[in-house]
Amino acid sequence: MSAATRTLPSGRGSRLAGTGVLLRFMLRRDRVRLPAWVLGMTVMMAYFANAIGTLMDGENLAGLAGFAANPIMALIGGPGYGFDEITVPRFLAGMYGAYLMLGAAFMSFTTVSRHTRVEEQTGRAELVRANVTGRHAPLTAALILTVGMNLAMSLLMGLVLIGSAVDPAPEPAPSFLFALSIGAAGLVFAGVAAVTVQLSPFSRAASSMAGGVLGVAFVVRGLGDMSAVQGGNLDWLSWLSPLGWSQQTAPFTLDRWWPLLLSAGLAAGLMATGYALQARRDLGAGLLADRPGAAYAAAWLRGPVSLAFRLQRSALIGWSMAMLLAGATFGAFVQPMREGAEEMPEEIVALMGGADGIVEGYLGFMGLYFAMMVAAYAIISLQGLRSEEQGMRAEPVLATGVSRPAWLLSWTGVTAAGAVLLLGLAGIGEGLGAALSTGDWGLMAPTVLGHLAHAPAVWLLLGLAVFLYGAFPRLLGAVWAVFVYGVFMSLFGQMLDTPEAVLNTSPFQHIGQYPAEDLSWVAIGGFAGVFVLLSALGTAAFRRRDLSTA
Amino acid sequence: MSPTEPGRSGALAIDLTGITKRYGRATALDGLDLRVTPGEVHGFLGPNGAGKSTTMRILLGILRHDHGTARVLGGDPWKDAVALHRRLAYVPGDVELWPNLTGGESIDLFARLRGGVDTRKRDELCERFDLDPHKKGRTYSKGNRQKVALISALASDVELLLLDEPTAGLDPLMEAVFQECIREAKAQGRTVLLSSHILAQVEVLADRVSIIRKGRIVESGTLGELRHLSRTAVTAVTERPLGDLAAWDGVHNLRQEGERLRFDVDAAVLPRVMGELSGRGLRALTATPPTLEQLLLRHYGDDLQEARR
Repeated sequence: MSAATRTLPSGRGSRLAGTGVLLRFMLRRDRVRLPAWVLGMTVMMAYFANAIGTLMDGENLAGLAGFAANPIMALIGGPGYGFDEITVPRFLAGMYGAYLMLGAAFMSFTTVSRHTRVEEQTGRAELVRANVTGRHAPLTAALILTVGMNLAMSLLMGLVLIGSAVDPAPEPAPSFLFALSIGAAGLVFAGVAAVTVQLSPFSRAASSMAGGVLGVAFVVRGLGDMSAVQGGNLDWLSWLSPLGWSQQTAPFTLDRWWPLLLSAGLAAGLMATGYALQARRDLGAGLLADRPGAAYAAAWLRGPVSLAFRLQRSALIGWSMAMLLAGATFGAFVQPMREGAEEMPEEIVALMGGADGIVEGYLGFMGLYFAMMVAAYAIISLQGLRSEEQGMRAEPVLATGVSRPAWLLSWTGVTAAGAVLLLGLAGIGEGLGAALSTGDWGLMAPTVLGHLAHAPAVWLLLGLAVFLYGAFPRLLGAVWAVFVYGVFMSLFGQMLDTPEAVLNTSPFQHIGQYPAEDLSWVAIGGFAGVFVLLSALGTAAFRRRDLSTA
Repeated sequence: MSPTEPGRSGALAIDLTGITKRYGRATALDGLDLRVTPGEVHGFLGPNGAGKSTTMRILLGILRHDHGTARVLGGDPWKDAVALHRRLAYVPGDVELWPNLTGGESIDLFARLRGGVDTRKRDELCERFDLDPHKKGRTYSKGNRQKVALISALASDVELLLLDEPTAGLDPLMEAVFQECIREAKAQGRTVLLSSHILAQVEVLADRVSIIRKGRIVESGTLGELRHLSRTAVTAVTERPLGDLAAWDGVHNLRQEGERLRFDVDAAVLPRVMGELSGRGLRALTATPPTLEQLLLRHYGDDLQEARR
């Protein structure tokens, strides 16, 4: 017995046994997903490069760069290196780089989670690990896969940049630097996911945590960049964020390679932490333990509305805190922005509506920005309904005295009300931050109203999701396409000289950025009406279809 | 709207006639007829993929049938779903719970959504099924999730229980508790439709049995009625050798094992065979009635043989 035991391989090598086989298996499973992500991201890059390269001449670009050098654009875009002598590649890196980085980060943490925690949660990892497979093999294979995806994506992005219709053609070295800075962001978030998948037994929680880290990283560098374009003294904030490091490579301007080392170092450190945590836990378990709960349901939990609330509650609490905090943080920047306006050339300040105009413009724009985030919340929430159905949790509820319309509309109603709550909290946070930093409490009420007023735009997207869920449940994801389209049109459409008629196809375009612009009550009422109509159509269709039964 | 006042007229609790259901090109149900009278425990037997769960879901109005007529407690299961669901309880074959609700919360919730929970009965059932209601849904094993759905169904005051392989994850001790509970439900006058491929369970509980195969009911009746269709397995030891019993019509699989003789015999010729055995100086005899396995084997035997080839 002991002789046989001694002959078993042990030590580090055996913990990685089977990694190669698992990697090939993952490639097989991702034969559609992997090329879709890598090629999709590359196509985005090619699209931006060619669209801007074709559309913009020197004069256009200079005007654009002036527009992009304002604090709001720095917040949503980046530090804008080299915008004073703008070229197409500089504009591309400064304005769109951040979004490609977000995409790469999202690709990376979902890939790691998909091949590690999802497998454990479903019990499939147990089957795999019962074979000749080391403890660390699945994580290692998943990380190799994700790193490979990022490298392949960077290589392809670099190639399409060099080959794009930009005149003069981008140099190879800075092109690959830009592409690698996007891949570096992906790498860091592969590391983040390597840690978060160890913490909770549930893939959704692991992905939410990674998404939260991504959100914080985006906001922190945004605040730093905003300070930087105004010559403020908070520009060091950008260096606290891995997305900031990628942007600080300043491709086509400074061409700094060394920030990539920061990203690589952090990614390696995070991955090592992931391995260390994994070695300390059982298969299928998390590090955050489950506590026993109530033996009886609370008296209020007795109908479809209270059930929908109970199931959405924890997400709502998390989002509420995030909205309030993010609102307060953004609001607190009103004062530095006011001070910055005093140092900016007078004619530019005048162009932006004076110092008060800048503040109002900022607060109005933030209402729109939060509306986009809350719209994402609403869509995710409605997708939760689809998981209820496919996870066979809808069936036992619909087998009781709950009708299909009651079930669907309860969930929709709770989400719609949640969206109003979140917008209100973001507005309150924003108003508080602004009022506290400036001492001007008159900013409070208009800010809250300006945020709340966007609720019908969020409802419109929610209504579309309800309609798709009822009528074409497999196409529910299409609502994301409408969302992304609307976000891009509203954030960048104007900058790209998009015709008014096309801009107006964005659902975020109509309500108005109060207090900078007037509110359109027609749009508010109309969107609310369309939401009701789409929900009614979706409900009618849902009554007619079979439930998905796995 | 349901035109009849259901359940009062002595009508059938479940009445399916000529039900078909297709998923794309695949036919799940192919002219299925199923009749369950009020107050009976009806066993619904068939192998995996025969259409048991699809039938259950049509009875619930979760799926819509393509052709045929369906009545449940006198109502239309699709149109009158909500009204009917207040009078029935369903336990799915694969119970999935919300990961962040405790078992106790789920039990209460389901029962309340049906119209109310009898807390005393619920607590008693938790104890009998040995379920800890404090645990979160995600921490329960398959068997414990099934207990949650069972307790919630049994604690509800309903006329009809639709149970889709309710004990597939339970251990034998819990299965005994389950059988007790079903007998109590029957004593209270409830109707139970119990699907299973665990034949022993149905054999113990069911008044009548319907056997489904490839989306059709192939046999329906009391166990006694179905048994006459099958063969009795006989083992006998006689003092004098038997004649050419193997050549008799109705005697099958005859084989000699030492002094023991084993064969299967059709019910029709059983008396003649017994006469022949006693005429040869019968020393030992065991005769086993057909189990439901054997009934099923008769219906699916051709498939088994195809599979062996």
